[in-house]
Amino acid sequence: MAKYITSRRPKKLRGMKAFDYVNYIFLALCVLIMIYPFVFVLAGSFSDGNDYMGGGVWLVPRVWTLANYQVIVSDNMLWIAYKNTIIRTAAGSLLSLSFTSLVAYAMSRRELKFRRFFQAANLFTMFFGGGLIPYFVLINFLGLFDTFWVYIIPALYSVYNMIILSGGYSALSEELHDSAVIDGAGELRIWISIYMPLSKAVHATVLLWLMVGNWNAYYSTMIYTRGGENVILLQYYLMGVINKASYTPSVGGEILEKVTSKTVSYAAIIVAILPVLFVYPFLSKYFTKGVTVGSLKG
Amino acid sequence: MDRIKDIPSAGRNKVRRGKRWVSRDYTLFAAACMGLAFLLVFAYVPMAGIIIAFKDDSLYFNIFDVIKYGGFVGFANFAEFFRDQKFWDVMANTLGLNLLMLLINFPAPIIFALLLNEILHSGYKKAVQTLSIFPHFISWVVFGGIVIALADMTTGIFNPVMYFFGIGSRDDPVNLLTAKYFWPLIITISMIKGVGWGSVIYLAAITNTSPELYEAAQLDGADRFKRALYITLPSIAPTVTVFLLLNISGLLSNNFEQFYVLQNPANTSRSEVLATYIYQTGMIERKYAYTTAMGFFESTIGIILMLSANAVSKKIANRGLFG
Repeated sequence: MAKYITSRRPKKLRGMKAFDYVNYIFLALCVLIMIYPFVFVLAGSFSDGNDYMGGGVWLVPRVWTLANYQVIVSDNMLWIAYKNTIIRTAAGSLLSLSFTSLVAYAMSRRELKFRRFFQAANLFTMFFGGGLIPYFVLINFLGLFDTFWVYIIPALYSVYNMIILSGGYSALSEELHDSAVIDGAGELRIWISIYMPLSKAVHATVLLWLMVGNWNAYYSTMIYTRGGENVILLQYYLMGVINKASYTPSVGGEILEKVTSKTVSYAAIIVAILPVLFVYPFLSKYFTKGVTVGSLKG
Repeated sequence: MDRIKDIPSAGRNKVRRGKRWVSRDYTLFAAACMGLAFLLVFAYVPMAGIIIAFKDDSLYFNIFDVIKYGGFVGFANFAEFFRDQKFWDVMANTLGLNLLMLLINFPAPIIFALLLNEILHSGYKKAVQTLSIFPHFISWVVFGGIVIALADMTTGIFNPVMYFFGIGSRDDPVNLLTAKYFWPLIITISMIKGVGWGSVIYLAAITNTSPELYEAAQLDGADRFKRALYITLPSIAPTVTVFLLLNISGLLSNNFEQFYVLQNPANTSRSEVLATYIYQTGMIERKYAYTTAMGFFESTIGIILMLSANAVSKKIANRGLFG
């Protein structure tokens, strides 16, 4: 009898119904709409600027050129912004992960004294805040305004990530902790040598979230800095290129004749998302893993 | 996040140590205190800064002087924005758009997850999921830039697609970035960027549902639609509740960057929401007290919405954010 029961996810395909065809096609269309915008910009970025202005370049360039990329990579500011963004993404994410996971470990321990109080104090900040002006005053008061530290220090800790990470720690067997205690390991030791290695997936997920967040950050540059060379980030630079065509190329007029500010901004967009495009296929499974680990408990 | 308050914790500690503190207690306590110290500075101190909302800032340009010397004016700053027509226009945009998004963008990932769950080829399913999540990881600056490119009246593709379907005419191309089209635009692009990522958590919940339930239902003669309705949907209901409550508590909040990148003088009448208006009055017009009062109002309404939605949900579904 049992073999006649169709399992929910059959290994072999069991004959598709009309609904299946519609569903497959509908989802394919959805994905097409989600991915196409990037193709559109990619085509524009390889297009001759003047030809592009005639319209109709939707999938592949009519007149191919690398001029847009030559112009944008010749702008020194792009590289400064790139360098700053890489530093922020690497340092900011790692520091935030280390600090947040340390706190998360403590919060995940049931024997933590005053645990209820700590939980309440953490949660409250997720739902209530001082707002823009008081925060801005604080940043100024701490001397963080217009310094690179404004990207690092205020982002050291995140209650949301703490919840995700401590969810990961709690999923580990309590016997592990007990036996480590019997072996005489201190709490920090247990965290670093047992819990951290065993929660690699959650750590990787939170690290990726942090990295993407740092890479994509725009607001902090706009509000808490003057956007100078010491603090300019990629997204801020990009905003200038897209809105005001504010870039200063150092290439000859021959190349400049082949571009418009529009096609150059498309090249800038592609240059800015290149790292994300590059790592995404390899890491996409980690992007979603933490959601499952942290959120579906309880 | 099912029970946000109950940060999950491992089984009971076997060794009861009573009230005495031993060295590992100090370690844990110190670590938790470091987190709290951070919050004290970066969350609780700004909350104390709400005092600016009750001060007179008309005499001082420097905000520190406002805090130090500004006289108390009670709720005058609140009264000021309550009397301001601009504020009500902004509120109408904020609430109107967020309610529409609650109606359209909130159920979309659930439907997307249900449809994705019906896919029989696991490779196809994985491909759809991987690709649909991608836009979530692209910044709003980039995505907004791309939207502006797609909507461009001469080089974009939006108008040609409309012509293809027989809508509009070549002599009168539509400018999507004007006030008239801003709401449909922002709803659509939020959907494109967010639906894949939003469905991840629901799909995970669906995958966790016991297969025996489906088999039993099948034996009882339930077809696919019925199984989705009576097994899959109830199994993700707790997750849906949590996200619904979070959405309701955020009815006055918006993603600043999403709006900021697409704003222009031709659409501010429909695109100015509280998040961008607070930036406008605070950072550009430097009306510190007025802006702080508005921020306080937003936070307060947010927490009231959250608590009341939570209470209603507990009463109806016997289930809330905090267990």
